[in-house]
Amino acid sequence: MIIFRDVSYTYPGAARPALRHVDFHLPEASFALVVGRSGAGKSTLLRCVNGLVPHFSGGTFAGRLAVAGLDPLYATPRAMSRRVGFVFQNPEAQFVLDRVEDEIAFALENAAMPRQEMRVRVEEVLDLLDLAALRERKLETLSGGERQRVAIAAALAFRPRVLVLDEPTSQLDPQSAEDVLNALVRLNHDLGLTILLAEHRLERVLQYADRVIALPDSPDGENGVLCGTTREVLPQLKLLPPLVALAKQLNWQPLPLTTKEGLHFSRALTEHILPVLPVAASPRYGAVGLALQRVWVCYDRQPVLRDVSLEVRRGEILVLMGRNGSGKTTLLKTLVGLVRPESGRVWVDGREVTGEDVATICRRAGYLPQEADTLLFADTVRQELEITLRNHGLPEHDEAIESLLAQLGLTAHAGRYPRDLSVGERQRAALGAITVTQPVALLLDEPTRGLDYTAKEALSALLRHWRDAGMAILVVTHDVEFAARTADRVVLISQGELIAEGVPAKVMGASPLFAPQIARLFPGRGWLTVEEALRGLGVV
Amino acid sequence: MIHPLAWLIWLAAELAVLSATRNPLYLASAIACTAIVLLRLRGRVVDAPTVPLSPLRFGLVVLPLAALFNALTVHMGRTVLLRLPTPLPLLGGPITLEALTFGALNGLALTGIYAAFIVLNYAVAVRALVGLIPRAFFPVAVVTSIALTFVPVTLRHWRQIRNAQAIRGHRIRGLHDWLPLFLPLLIGGLEHAFQLAEAMTARGFAGAAETVPMRRARTVIAAGLLTLLAGWVLWLAWQQRAIGIPLMALGGGMVVASLWWLGRQVPRTTYRPTHWYPRDTVIALASGTAAAAFLVAWPGWDRSSIFFYPYPALASPGFSGWIALALGGLLVPALLIPPTRYLSLFQSAWANRAILKRDASVQEGQAVTGSPSGIATVAMYPSEAAYPSTPTGEPR
Repeated sequence: MIIFRDVSYTYPGAARPALRHVDFHLPEASFALVVGRSGAGKSTLLRCVNGLVPHFSGGTFAGRLAVAGLDPLYATPRAMSRRVGFVFQNPEAQFVLDRVEDEIAFALENAAMPRQEMRVRVEEVLDLLDLAALRERKLETLSGGERQRVAIAAALAFRPRVLVLDEPTSQLDPQSAEDVLNALVRLNHDLGLTILLAEHRLERVLQYADRVIALPDSPDGENGVLCGTTREVLPQLKLLPPLVALAKQLNWQPLPLTTKEGLHFSRALTEHILPVLPVAASPRYGAVGLALQRVWVCYDRQPVLRDVSLEVRRGEILVLMGRNGSGKTTLLKTLVGLVRPESGRVWVDGREVTGEDVATICRRAGYLPQEADTLLFADTVRQELEITLRNHGLPEHDEAIESLLAQLGLTAHAGRYPRDLSVGERQRAALGAITVTQPVALLLDEPTRGLDYTAKEALSALLRHWRDAGMAILVVTHDVEFAARTADRVVLISQGELIAEGVPAKVMGASPLFAPQIARLFPGRGWLTVEEALRGLGVV
Repeated sequence: MIHPLAWLIWLAAELAVLSATRNPLYLASAIACTAIVLLRLRGRVVDAPTVPLSPLRFGLVVLPLAALFNALTVHMGRTVLLRLPTPLPLLGGPITLEALTFGALNGLALTGIYAAFIVLNYAVAVRALVGLIPRAFFPVAVVTSIALTFVPVTLRHWRQIRNAQAIRGHRIRGLHDWLPLFLPLLIGGLEHAFQLAEAMTARGFAGAAETVPMRRARTVIAAGLLTLLAGWVLWLAWQQRAIGIPLMALGGGMVVASLWWLGRQVPRTTYRPTHWYPRDTVIALASGTAAAAFLVAWPGWDRSSIFFYPYPALASPGFSGWIALALGGLLVPALLIPPTRYLSLFQSAWANRAILKRDASVQEGQAVTGSPSGIATVAMYPSEAAYPSTPTGEPR
């Protein structure tokens, strides 16, 4: 269905090729996962399939391609659009119209398809993606997952035989992401649609994929592109979900891809080990960094936070988890003054913040919003840091700036334009812009969105380093694996109320919703990460 | 749904009436019609648009203001209420009941115009108005649609940026401080535009190349417009009706014909066309009659009551039953807006009928269209055999 023969490609003006000697063959009806670090060329590879590369992007292309019986190099993207549906990362940026049905019909209208035929096609995809109930709705009133399903429906309106998706779930919360992935599995199983999917969170999709295409870290590396069935390729990968990483360490064969398969091995291992409940080291935290006392927040007279009291001490990382719309982001915004509470008191660094403006509060508490890119606007990374200092009227010490850039791993990029950096680097630049005032507290909203395993690990290490330096850190995240590695304490929130609080092993280990893969594999042991499991099993 | 064009005709008639007369009886009747239409609409619009200011409030503010302003600046009329000292520039002089009345009437007309636009806002989505753009200007229509989709996205982006910059300690003290807000908005907008262009390309949207005949047709439009203008100038400036009017007709014809021809060159279908139903004709005719009663001097038609003028002395306004009857045409949309409950019943019945019809034709083995891929009952993703793959596409 898709054949790449020795494909190399260089973007216009780029010094190095984005793809080098890519060579693989994908049979019909496969569900293929494209993996690799950010910047490894995943997006470029996907765009070759429908001819956006090189027709839309320009640049130099070498090699041969065949997709659904056409050669994207000679066929135009217009001709390819009939065979290949394409879904982008950000659902918002691909919509032309504002209603569900109209958006799906847009491409058909342009192709001058007879109306009768068009009605049938729209009905089909509405049913396939389970959107019939939403057909009249405006796109802006839909949730992220629903929007992404509309985008998929629009891509399928031409009845293509290949569906290509470029990180379609990276901007979504787990529940919405699950909806989208389930829809894809259904399309693949029921219709035999060939699916090519780029995705960072392998733990979620690995079980569905039957093929993996792994791109090397950099196109110049000796290793070429790996392509094969999931179990062939996985052992050769470096970035792996916890289950597979553990299985590889313990030499489980065949490699388990789901918790169910893994339990078979883990049961046998732990049969003879008595469960030892972990003794939580008594925390020795510092002074209170952030505090809320009996806070109520309302939007349009609807309470969003109900009677919330919470303390984050200096020297601890507190992770706040909960469903979409449960009030997590509101809680962060309340702390920095972007949202004013109806009643209750808020302290930052031991000082009550009532009446202080956002800028004054944020000097003591850095806040990284979900859309970290909106923070960046200067010409260089270094300037971003300097501008924040200038905004606050603080002196610009070169040494302090240099040391922060070094901590963030951005020394080499200090002179670059922030928006040209990779997702992880951009986020670190934004972190630099908010922490250059040396705040005592740090608030992060969904910091792992769109990050690959390496970038997540780097972020986790950075946060732990800052915690040890005495910062009070509050992280809102959906990413259970990240929370398991990073948190000192976990708080669950639901419908604006805090419902559970405690050490991660206690709060997350027992919850079916928030348990990381390792906790599911060894229930009741209190192990959350690969390292903990290996230590517990006495392997390390 | 009432056709957007019918609503536009209604709006035009409303504006014509409200600007043609200052007779308080007719003004009040026209506004009453508008109010009834608005009340009928309000209950049944699903995505109700946000109205900045209700027409009632608008009237309560504008009416007294207009009356006061007119009374203070126009010192004509016989019924003097009080006298301001003459040394006051402009304001000084007698304050008359006539001036006060005339100002209030102007305020009333303004309120009516505002209310009429609110009605349009309720009745017709902007998107539907975009649908009225002639097919010859299809790219313009697409760009307008995209712009409309851009607006809410940009507003949200703007709020995010404002928050983000406040977080970085940014305070707005002067003009210079707006730059850090606009720059990310601009960059974000450009990035969005680029992504959208890519997404549209991936969905097979490509600007069609302009052919020579199409370029010629555009030249004809320009020539037609010039002819139209020349005819108009001849008619107005030199009173050359005999040459002017035919020239205008010729120019108009050229424009319409080339637009029609150009529209046919754009290969495009509409998923959900707006239908023109008999009730739309009724609305258009009724609105047209109302406007004509006020604008056209029909022979034997007594229009004197339209021209109410309070100066020099206030008199009771005239009234003609025929004109009032014609004015009632503005009320017609209120009678033809289907009530919500029945509307949904009707729609579902209609949809069922369409599905039954389709199923029937499937059973009889007739394809609904001439398309090779057939209809829903045919496998959605035909096997390789259905699309003979070209051997030239495969690398050797």
